[in-house]
Amino acid sequence: MSIGKVHNWKKVITQLLLLGVPTIVLIGYMLFNINQYNAILHNDWKMQTLYFTAALVVSIIFYSFRFRFITTAAILFIGYYIAYKVISKSAIGEFDAFNASVRFMIFATLCSIGWITGYGFSRSRYYTIFWSVFLLATQVLVLSKTVVVTAGLLIKAFVPILVYAVYIIYTAELIRNSNNNDKRFGWFILKRMFGFGVLLLLVVLALLQFYDKDFQAIEQEWGGANAKYDKNKSNSESMTKENKDGTLGNKDQTQLSASLNKGKRLVFVAKLDNFFPDGKTPNPLYFTAYYYTKFDTLTQTFETDSLMPKNDLFRPNPSKIPLYFAKTDSTVIKNTQATKARKVVTAEVYKTLLAPSEYVAPSTSFFCQPLPVENSFKEQYKSAYRAKMWVSELNSAYFIYNPAGNAPLKSFQEQRFNVLRQVPDFKEVDPAMMKYYTFMPKDAEYDRIRTLAQEVTKDAKTPLDKIIAIRDYFLGKDEFGQPLYKYTNNPGVPGLPSANKLTYFLFENRKGYCAYYAGATLFLLRALGIPSRVAAGFLTVDRSSKNPGWYWFYEDQAHAWVQVYFPGYGWIDFDTTVPDTETQQSPQPDQTPPLGMQQAYLVADGKVVSVDTTTKMVEMTANKFLFQDKEFTTNNPQKLTVDAKIATVSTDTGTAKLSDLKKDMHITAASFAEALKNLQPTPTDSFGSILARIPKPTPVDEIKIIDEEKAAAKAKKDPFATETSVDWTRALWITLIVIGALLLLLFITPYMIWLFFNAKAKGNEAKGAYLKHRAVMYYLNQLGYFRNNTGPYQYASQVDTQFGTQLSTFSNVYQKIKYSSMALTASEAETVNGFYSPFITQVRNRVPFKTRFSKFLNIYNTIHYFTQPKTN
Amino acid sequence: MEQTIQIEQALQNIQRLVDNIEQVIRGKKTQIQFILTALLAKGHILMEDNPGTGKTVMAKTLAQSIAGRSNEGGVNFKRIQFTPDLLPMDLIGSHIFDDAQKEFIFKKGPLFCNVLLADEINRASPKVQSALLECMAEHQITMGDTTYPLEKLFFTIATQNPVEMEGTYPLPAAQLDRFFLKIVFGYVDEETELNIYKDYLGIQNNLDHIHQVLSMDEILFLQNETEKIQIHEELITAVRNIVWETRKHADITLGASTRSGITFLKCLKAFALVNGRTFVTEDDIQRITHAVLDHRLIYRNKEAKQKALAAILDKEMNRLSKLKIEG
Repeated sequence: MSIGKVHNWKKVITQLLLLGVPTIVLIGYMLFNINQYNAILHNDWKMQTLYFTAALVVSIIFYSFRFRFITTAAILFIGYYIAYKVISKSAIGEFDAFNASVRFMIFATLCSIGWITGYGFSRSRYYTIFWSVFLLATQVLVLSKTVVVTAGLLIKAFVPILVYAVYIIYTAELIRNSNNNDKRFGWFILKRMFGFGVLLLLVVLALLQFYDKDFQAIEQEWGGANAKYDKNKSNSESMTKENKDGTLGNKDQTQLSASLNKGKRLVFVAKLDNFFPDGKTPNPLYFTAYYYTKFDTLTQTFETDSLMPKNDLFRPNPSKIPLYFAKTDSTVIKNTQATKARKVVTAEVYKTLLAPSEYVAPSTSFFCQPLPVENSFKEQYKSAYRAKMWVSELNSAYFIYNPAGNAPLKSFQEQRFNVLRQVPDFKEVDPAMMKYYTFMPKDAEYDRIRTLAQEVTKDAKTPLDKIIAIRDYFLGKDEFGQPLYKYTNNPGVPGLPSANKLTYFLFENRKGYCAYYAGATLFLLRALGIPSRVAAGFLTVDRSSKNPGWYWFYEDQAHAWVQVYFPGYGWIDFDTTVPDTETQQSPQPDQTPPLGMQQAYLVADGKVVSVDTTTKMVEMTANKFLFQDKEFTTNNPQKLTVDAKIATVSTDTGTAKLSDLKKDMHITAASFAEALKNLQPTPTDSFGSILARIPKPTPVDEIKIIDEEKAAAKAKKDPFATETSVDWTRALWITLIVIGALLLLLFITPYMIWLFFNAKAKGNEAKGAYLKHRAVMYYLNQLGYFRNNTGPYQYASQVDTQFGTQLSTFSNVYQKIKYSSMALTASEAETVNGFYSPFITQVRNRVPFKTRFSKFLNIYNTIHYFTQPKTN
Repeated sequence: MEQTIQIEQALQNIQRLVDNIEQVIRGKKTQIQFILTALLAKGHILMEDNPGTGKTVMAKTLAQSIAGRSNEGGVNFKRIQFTPDLLPMDLIGSHIFDDAQKEFIFKKGPLFCNVLLADEINRASPKVQSALLECMAEHQITMGDTTYPLEKLFFTIATQNPVEMEGTYPLPAAQLDRFFLKIVFGYVDEETELNIYKDYLGIQNNLDHIHQVLSMDEILFLQNETEKIQIHEELITAVRNIVWETRKHADITLGASTRSGITFLKCLKAFALVNGRTFVTEDDIQRITHAVLDHRLIYRNKEAKQKALAAILDKEMNRLSKLKIEG
């Protein structure tokens, strides 16, 4: 190991500032991100960045001396090892030892990366490329753990790294190649960096601007796909992943364990107008979002299926429906084919985390009416809607709950069961429907499930008893009195990746979360020929006696259970998930429920024409009225001026300002004004007559902006959905054209400069001589006749011998003009006058066009002309 | 007006002188110009090359061209062959006892002349070398109590064999500095060499019958005129830049001094005059920079010797060539 200087201090400082600082910033940013995903890092990114920084800085300074890498790195690693041994010896207690060593490992890893990076910056030429690739790979790894991928996230994740990569490679090379002995070293670097920065910024901005639409489209696409599954954004509890695509997957495990701690946020609040016959005791209902009716055996995924027979799933998008206007789908009621023990129940849902476009309601809802949120609650609840359901009286949450030793609940359930025992079999059910809902894959693995189903239900006669037998089977105890099945969020995976996870759960592991129980129950039931499906949504817990009928839904209430079809009664919920003995309950909600809104006498739906923010008047074209709960529409939208002095403006994501209203925006204006209260619609009323009767300007209390941009964008996008490549080809062409134009510009630059110089080369006096001299010099230089290490006369003589010109004469005269104060003689003046054109012609004649053409494409010659030679 | 005519005349005479010397020394126009430059700049010149390239003949020719046959108006030419056993006294002279006068009289040495050819200067001992070089600098000789001034026109042409050769005492940098220019004589090109062989008798003959072209007065006049040569401010700046660059350059351990810069300017003016101009141009800088500066600089290695100064000069020439002219 020899010690001596490799770099001088200027270079070291430049490396620290220009390479070190951006690297540290980026690493800090990445560590901050990684800390969000990896619990093991303990959200300590500042400290971790500090480790890296210290190692990097020390390493850059250290390796500016002539140290050898292998020797020094070996010493460093031996140091790590000894420290590691010492730490694991000295820490007392298993947990401490583990904790300390993990922390040390993090420290050692980051330090090593920093150290190696410092070495790379200091010595290795190609390190920056390797380093950029490494960072990109790391970011891909981090991103692969992310649940929801949005365009914004992608940009945030990759743009900094890409920009950094270009920057670091460029800068490292720049520093390497520049002469640090130069007095203006700093200035030189600064100049280059500034130019480069501006260029990079322009490119990035242009790209972002240019691809903005595509980014939005991508986000839309993914965001849209996202919305097909429920609650992903809001729910990161164990059900999240299961809800998303139904997989009972190996991959879920890390995700689940990592996100377990977070699932305590409020998702929505609901007021459910469902009470026992006494009128006081609330009767909670499970809220469903989807039905999983299909099972993909290959990927072992439960899926939604829009083609399911007798589709009774009502999926409106509440954010697209104008305020107070209801969307109803009565085919849903028809499809349930349920007539017995059914009633209509109303629920009001106030969303917090739940996306505005999401819709959840107890089973078989058919009515959705967006409502405004009362002003004082607008901060807390983003949006609300009212839902109506065709609810089975047998579907009470108390009835579904797994009683698990709760004697009163058991006896309560028994009463209901007696009703269902009346259904002896499923002969009445439509065969097509029966076939669909009892479908089960045929292979040995599923035969095991069939056998188990027969065994479990051998004593049961009616379908209901079979269901109860299956439920009780999951609650059973083994020969040692231990529970046969346990609830866990980390069920583990079978040894073989392709192994059937359901049979693994049923026969070997016997641990799982709701999706496992629901999935297993589904196949046990289908094995017995009982039509069933998996329902996903939220389980309802009645915790508060303060506000009867109000329910709070937290993330950890996301749930999956089984629905069984009983002819005449429709789909009935069963929950076979065993109670989780280890997890604590959600905190008791003790919040104030939002106030209900007043009755709106007039609701107008239409587009904004103009907004006057000073007088607070909004002019709109209305095509729909909701007047005293009666709807009037017209094909010919009419102008309506509304007085928005006391109105609150809101969107799906919260409150807005009156000035946010823009022309052509889709809005709904609602009025609670007493003036309208006494106006009653008559059967003969039409849209026009209503418009004529209401006071103008119409006072309104509530204006909601209906988010139509997304819908419009989607509609626009749809025709292209199958041929997105069109956009990319266009982008490619534009990129190519831009690059081509730039290249063309680059190539014709020499010629343009020549044209300029040539045009300017006129005049007689000193000035003219100068301009002509400049043009001649540029022309010769561009043709490849450089003037290196020769005086003007010598150069001119060479040119003259080559082309038979009179440059040396001119050169002498030029020198005289330039450096003496003597007047020109007549012949000299003549030289200046008549020299230029013949000279150019002469040279042009001697140099073939092909050569001239190719030489004029050569930008290097031009650069050569304009650059100062270096002295070393 | 009269002066102008004289200058015109003198410029023509210089041309004639060059032509005259060329009769003997073939294909060495540049070297002749450099020698005359040193002469007009009131400096001295050092010629270096292998033996037999015509250094001595060159000096003799020049001396004869300005010395003339008769001593009327001609210059006094002396030649000293330097050998290791030469003593300072042999150069400057000594006191000899005069029997007739009964006193010591000073017998002047060969230094008391107008043109001195110091042949193979690096074969003499350092003592002798420094004696000569001190005289060249001071233009006077002090013996005991008496100071003897040298002639008004005192021009030394020194030759030396390449430093690498055996039996030489290399001149130290400080002494090399006394020489305004150092030129490498070099071999002539093939064609010229053939001509020389064909005509060597004629050349010998020419040497014997060289005419005096310039008179002493004319040379002194031209030396004075040199000072009046116009030099543009940008060119002075260029000289400054070159001198500065030699000090900053990584491959040059000893850069040019301020005295070198002044010498540079003097040489530029003289060179312009030799080329028949009354103003200095870029070409002059391009052509004499190496002769003026090369022997004053100490380079880090051989490669630097070839490249460093050339690069500095190239940069400066580039700057000059792109200067904008006002007007």
